[in-house]
Amino acid sequence: MWTTPLRALGTLGIFVIVAGGAVLMILPFYWMLVTALSPATDVMAFPPRWVPSHVTFEHVWYALRKAPWHLYYWNSLVVAVVSVGCSLLFGLFAGYAFAVYRFPLQNVLFLLILSTLMVPVQVTSVALYILLSRIGWVDTYAGILAPNFGSAFGVFLLRQAIRQVPHELVEAGRIDGAGEVRIVLTLIAPLVRTMLATVAMILFLGSWNDFLWPVIVINSANLRTVPVGMALFKDPYGNINYGPLMAAAVISTGPMLLAYALSQRFMIRGIATTGLKG
Amino acid sequence: MLRATRRLIRQLHARHVWHAYLFVAPILILFGAFRVVPSIQTLFYSVYRVELLRGRFTFIGLDNFRELLFDPTFHQAARNTLVYVAVIVPVSAALGLLFAVLFDARFPLREFFKALYFAPMVTSTVAAAVVWWWLYNPQFGLFNVLLRLVGLPIQPWLMSSRTALFSIILFSIWKWVGYNMVVYLAGLQAIPESFLEAARIDGAGGVQRFWRITLPLLAPTTAFLLIYNSIQAFQVFDQVFVLTSGGPAGSTNVIVLDLYRQAFERYNFGYAAAQATVLFVLTLAVTVFQYVYSKRFEVSY
Repeated sequence: MWTTPLRALGTLGIFVIVAGGAVLMILPFYWMLVTALSPATDVMAFPPRWVPSHVTFEHVWYALRKAPWHLYYWNSLVVAVVSVGCSLLFGLFAGYAFAVYRFPLQNVLFLLILSTLMVPVQVTSVALYILLSRIGWVDTYAGILAPNFGSAFGVFLLRQAIRQVPHELVEAGRIDGAGEVRIVLTLIAPLVRTMLATVAMILFLGSWNDFLWPVIVINSANLRTVPVGMALFKDPYGNINYGPLMAAAVISTGPMLLAYALSQRFMIRGIATTGLKG
Repeated sequence: MLRATRRLIRQLHARHVWHAYLFVAPILILFGAFRVVPSIQTLFYSVYRVELLRGRFTFIGLDNFRELLFDPTFHQAARNTLVYVAVIVPVSAALGLLFAVLFDARFPLREFFKALYFAPMVTSTVAAAVVWWWLYNPQFGLFNVLLRLVGLPIQPWLMSSRTALFSIILFSIWKWVGYNMVVYLAGLQAIPESFLEAARIDGAGGVQRFWRITLPLLAPTTAFLLIYNSIQAFQVFDQVFVLTSGGPAGSTNVIVLDLYRQAFERYNFGYAAAQATVLFVLTLAVTVFQYVYSKRFEVSY
């Protein structure tokens, strides 16, 4: 690699370009944090103050008092956990059925499930809303969850993973007298745990950051998820209060960014090798 | 006859057919109810006038679509969406490829930088857009402050119909480029070193190796990214909602935002269903076109 000075110069050039790009990528995050932690007089200073003249939490306290973030977090968590849990459970069983069994209409049903990927909630939202308003699910947890109880992508990925499991293992389980449900839960699930974890991460992220469907189906303030609460936090504060607004952005992105910092290899690999949509 | 039936049942049992249906039943029922039925109903509602509160559905044929044809707001939204897709898809793919090639080299802190490029991808679009809304502030926002600092003319960003759509595109590129870069990087690292080695021995230079070997071998990755990014781009909503709400003067209005307004602010559900149908057809057309077109560029060695 470093055999010639020319090579070293090339590497230095790449490093400089990549580092410059990285500064641009990280700048919005950094400025969010600086604005959130700076006193109000710093926020509109020229030239810009790259480091707060002193660190203050006044904007953070203000943002915390202005909106029930604990409620938003709780709502987001309930929705994400139920949707990921159901999607994994149903996806595991459906994936097993499509991978191991041979049954009439197998391919038709599989393609039907995959075809739902072509019609995102952006397209179906109108009809889905009318349907839910008829069964009284508008403005409920069930309503937020309705299109996310299962994941076509999850079924597909888990089927692919279960196909890699040698059939002899399933046969051995049957000979030992295990029922099919037990085989799926105690034999197959541990063997495909990497894929389960990847699917869980992708679906959790998707649910956590989802905005359009929640904002459609939620009316009451106490059902808002974090992104909905964040978007509505912005409106009434016009052009002046950027400190609290950035504090709110820190509050709503902080935990996810922290989780990302701790597991970025796993998250990048999972998203890059499987795609992103839930 | 009875015996034959019984034998058939036993056979099906042995082949676990009951288990199979039992295992796929939950997902089929849920998808049927909340995804497949609404998809079909969208088509159905698009030829109706829907008055939800009165529970009245009036068949009006193609009137909704006819109205769409002459609706200047929808025209503008459709045009903006197409411009958005046409700019962001190639630009973010090209930037993704460029950075993937750079990241394919070996240099210090590589994994760290990769994580930074990818960070916008895992951040909620709403929260990130709120931050950019501050950065785009014409007076005190960081972008104009930096422009002033280096003596360049400041920009109105989101405030002018001339620059607002461009500003949204810029945000979306920042949000997406890390994803494209990481996917391209996975594609690059799957190319066997021996191909490039052979070309080097044959005297091919770096640029030639890239255009003649690397790029054709990446064709499947490129096809996937173009299609996936297009589908995502057609559905753009969150950042527009936060940054401009479609303004100024409708210059950043997009199809999903217009659909959202028609359905959930004006309760024109039938009209919104017609818009959803158009969105679906547009997405499908572009996807199929890119799929067929990309097939022509696929190579195998």
